[in-house]
Amino acid sequence: MNQISRREFVTLAAVSAVASRTAPYSRVVPPRVAITAQQIVERIRQKIGVEWKTETVDTFKAGDPATVVKGIVTTAMPTMEVLKQAVKGGANLVITCEPTFYSKSDGTSPPSGRGVGQTGAVDRISRAKNEFITTEGLVIWRFSDHWRQRKPDPLAIGLTDALGWSKLRAANDATRVTIPAITLDALTSNLKRKLNARGGIRVVGDPQLKVQKIGLLPGTTPIQAALTLLPSVDAVIAGEVREWESVEYARDKVTAGEKKSLILLGRVVSEDPGMNVCAQWVKTIVPELPSTWIPVGDPYWRPI
Amino acid sequence: MPSLTAGEVVARIKANLGIPWRDTTYRDTFKFGGPGTEVKGIATTVFCSFDLVQRAADAGFNMIIPHEDTYWNDRDDVTVVSGDSLYKMKVDFMTKHNIVIFRIHDHMHAQRPDFTYVGSARALGLDSKYETAPQSHRFTIPETTLGALAADFQKRLGAKALRVVGDPNAKVSRIQLGVGYATPAVNNPDVDVVVSGELQETDGAFDSPEYVLDAVSFGIPKGWIMLGHAVSEEQGMLEMAQWVKSFTPEVPVQLLRAGEPFWVPK
Repeated sequence: MNQISRREFVTLAAVSAVASRTAPYSRVVPPRVAITAQQIVERIRQKIGVEWKTETVDTFKAGDPATVVKGIVTTAMPTMEVLKQAVKGGANLVITCEPTFYSKSDGTSPPSGRGVGQTGAVDRISRAKNEFITTEGLVIWRFSDHWRQRKPDPLAIGLTDALGWSKLRAANDATRVTIPAITLDALTSNLKRKLNARGGIRVVGDPQLKVQKIGLLPGTTPIQAALTLLPSVDAVIAGEVREWESVEYARDKVTAGEKKSLILLGRVVSEDPGMNVCAQWVKTIVPELPSTWIPVGDPYWRPI
Repeated sequence: MPSLTAGEVVARIKANLGIPWRDTTYRDTFKFGGPGTEVKGIATTVFCSFDLVQRAADAGFNMIIPHEDTYWNDRDDVTVVSGDSLYKMKVDFMTKHNIVIFRIHDHMHAQRPDFTYVGSARALGLDSKYETAPQSHRFTIPETTLGALAADFQKRLGAKALRVVGDPNAKVSRIQLGVGYATPAVNNPDVDVVVSGELQETDGAFDSPEYVLDAVSFGIPKGWIMLGHAVSEEQGMLEMAQWVKSFTPEVPVQLLRAGEPFWVPK
């Protein structure tokens, strides 16, 4: 699934929806007992297997939680493009890993200190997005803090599945895989192709380095994560790190003659496949509704 | 020739800065060696990478003035990293070569002009005649496309791993320049393109990739060009070297580039 383009995916998803027992969302006969977004979130909280935090970003971000849900979409980041696809597919509950309104606070006004000349005012893009959500009757719920804590790590499972490494994972740690030896150069080209990355992947290390042991750090991670993982693997595949931390650490490791490398996929690209895992899991706890993953894709491109 | 100590170099930096020194800074301090170290030559750089330290030692520059951290965390808290064999190796090398490191970050950004912006604008070809007001870091350039602008930047910098978000065909002319991690908010309606070093993708304040993607969906031309932290802030270390040279005539002073850490897959 990850070797196909987003457009192909959408087409295929539509075809499979028609072909399967389940008709396209728009023609789904409403379940006998209507289920609301709030009730679905209650089920998730009961089934996730992670103690619910009192302080969490995993809350409703837009729309009315009392809305009766027709279909569920999961995504790493609810861009307008993703929301439009959700609407097109007849889904009205969007479960997202990342924020909707461009900040951790997910407010439609710019957070103080940012957005020159706009602080306190409603941002025009935020407003237009919120209007789209309201008009289309969408409900958006963030699922990040608790999804990441689930064991085995669903983001690592998603990434390794997408890379064809499902059988190469360590038995008790989904963030570690051992692959047949390959040069860093060839490995990163494979990653780019398999993850449909456009321009966001960046690499530190000798392109001719032979890589076998890999550690995964999807999402965003501080230096402590790299310090813990890099010494025991040939390559760390991370989403996002601070460049003054893990990037310079990896660069210095290479200078010191250690056979190490660091591959940055970008935060969203690293989390994308993990939200496919989320869609599959949600299906198991909300079997009466279709649950579909919509990939965000790589936001970045390169000029030349 | 009378010898010059690192302490004297720092004293002259403080004396020439034009603003009071803030002793509360945890960044702008000695990271290795101390004020008593005799200075043979001074290298400025963005990152005190191990490779950079080795090249500086080879070239006889035993005092290094970096803009960023030495031990892979902003506070240069060695307790975070001292368990790693690399830390000892780097420190042993610096001991053997009588290296002294003094970071200049907070005061470089507080100084006027802030050389990080001067250097970045110079390297990107953002001429001061285009700047809307002195030190606004906002430039109105002749209209171009986001794709052409980014390609021009990449060519000028010789960098490999620039990353861009937005429609390559978007018509743009109003550029807000940021440096390092000080990336301006992209939602300002008076700005088409934000150019900077680095920023987290989400969970910040006005997460830029998603904002730019959504602006494109609503037909608003927006662009976000990330140069990378090192590439962004290294440029101004040339101006820093020239400035330090102006009051340390006893020793050679020059920029030694840590360089871009990345390459990109085919």
